[in-house]
Amino acid sequence: MATALMNHAEIETDDLHRLVDPARGIVNSRVFNDPEIYQRELTQIFMKTWTYVGHVAQIPNAGDYVTAFIGEDGVIVSRGRGGDINVLLNSCRHRGLAVCSSDRGNARLFRCPYHGWTYGRDGALLGVPKMQEAYHNELDKASHGLVRVPRVEIYRGFIFANWDYGAVSLEDYLGRDMLWYLDIPMVGALGNLVPIGPVMKFRMKANWKLASENFAGDDYHVLSTHGSAFRIGFLPDYDQLADYTANFDHGHGMGDIPKPGRAIENDRGMAQMFGPDAATYVEAFNARVREHLSERQADVHGIGEGNIFPNLSWIKFGCFHAFGLLQWLPKGPDEVEVWQTTFFDSGAPQSVKDYARSQMSQENAAAGIFGQDDGENFERISEVLRGAVCGKQDLHYAMGLGHEDEVKVEGLPGRLGPHYTEANHRNFYRYWLQLMTGREG
Amino acid sequence: MGEYLLELRPEVEAFLFHEALLLDDLRFDEWLALFADEARYWMPIAETLDYDQSRVSAEGEWALVEETKAFMAKRLERMKTGMAFAEQPRSRTRHYVSNVLVSVGEGETVIARSNILVFQGRRDRKGEFFAGYRLDSLVRHDSSWLITERRVFLDQRVLPRALSVFL
Repeated sequence: MATALMNHAEIETDDLHRLVDPARGIVNSRVFNDPEIYQRELTQIFMKTWTYVGHVAQIPNAGDYVTAFIGEDGVIVSRGRGGDINVLLNSCRHRGLAVCSSDRGNARLFRCPYHGWTYGRDGALLGVPKMQEAYHNELDKASHGLVRVPRVEIYRGFIFANWDYGAVSLEDYLGRDMLWYLDIPMVGALGNLVPIGPVMKFRMKANWKLASENFAGDDYHVLSTHGSAFRIGFLPDYDQLADYTANFDHGHGMGDIPKPGRAIENDRGMAQMFGPDAATYVEAFNARVREHLSERQADVHGIGEGNIFPNLSWIKFGCFHAFGLLQWLPKGPDEVEVWQTTFFDSGAPQSVKDYARSQMSQENAAAGIFGQDDGENFERISEVLRGAVCGKQDLHYAMGLGHEDEVKVEGLPGRLGPHYTEANHRNFYRYWLQLMTGREG
Repeated sequence: MGEYLLELRPEVEAFLFHEALLLDDLRFDEWLALFADEARYWMPIAETLDYDQSRVSAEGEWALVEETKAFMAKRLERMKTGMAFAEQPRSRTRHYVSNVLVSVGEGETVIARSNILVFQGRRDRKGEFFAGYRLDSLVRHDSSWLITERRVFLDQRVLPRALSVFL
């Protein structure tokens, strides 16, 4: 135990700063393969930041629940009788089994299969079989409810939870600058942005950060990794689609931001494929953004893709594109379970909904032509890092170093960058380092 | 048992075995020609639920695969670019097709239900399996059949990897 603690102390004080040096554009391979670093992430990263755990539309009624993960800890997100939302550790207080093994459902009680301890929707321990004979009525039920995740907050229907009592509010964590972009599809929706079906789940044998940093603004990979999509005409020239990247406090980043005016013109062009309903939809969406948000947000119209630190990525191009959330659930240093939820505007015309839904499956999903090539590359990185030499090499994160403040666009918030830069990666690892070392700055 | 078209079974089975052979032998253009022009390929997401354990994506919900022959052709075109990295180099696959039962479908179609077990050997990896069943809608075409719809229902909640092969 003493040795383990000393090792942790060593990693904290010396190694991490040597392994991750954003100012010089260096990230060492060890952060993607070291079991000790991974264990430290589970407490220092995943227990200190806000984790997305579900959407209110998935649990509209009392008793509705979904299961989710914070780091590697399973939780139940349960709607109580009064409409309150409880995020409970999915682990019996007696022997630790998961008390719920379903993706979602409606329950009055959660019952542990092993000895039958029974908990309410708010996690209260309600029933213990043979309370008199086995426990002499001495077990204090009040102090043996399911452990509650103490902080639960909602942004426009998206539920987040945080183990850290002292954390900043969810809205401050996400930050006004990033929300300026994310608000566009959420407010532009004519109805509600709602999940259109089950959570899709698949595995990748890769470190979770490889996926997170990619979505945080690695626009550079698109040209090679997704070269096939351009060759077959699935996409027009990449530089005709988007222009900028942006990064934000708390490690968040996004890419493929179109210059103002570009995305709506693309959507007007696409609308001709679908007919008059779709053309009307584009204008109505844009008008809502203009009216409820701002002129400048309406000019941006489509927002690209990004990563909410640590492991929640999103993708949303113009108004015909579904809003995809991808959770990179850590399952060890070299494995991730992808949970993907797709949302779309309940108020959109049916033809637009049908397009958005199938397009996401074909593009960025388990069988999508983008998602599968990304996964293959992340896995190839993790395979190589098993080597004694490869696993300790410094990797190059220096693209655009020294050119961070050169892109300025009137009215666009965040630290803007050009289409191709690794400023967002450095921003990700700067915050990662801050949390892992427990230091400010 | 009365609902099954037992006399058609040997012929339909041979058709499905031949189709699997074309996939495993990487004869994709010949394989795609077994699908009707408007054919649909759909693979819903399975969910783990306490009370309705067989639930999969409903029509209108999103799915693992939702496309028509036109996009399947795009997938083949993509493979030929040499830049479809999830399949570059190509996986070795083995499609095991069994438990074939044929019944009457809509209009002129028959429905072939079959179980599938597909092995995917990818580079130096150990390999992955995909298991489930298919419902294929078939119509007569000359002396053979055309697939007008393929629905694949996987038994896995969490896929072992991204899906880069046809099931």
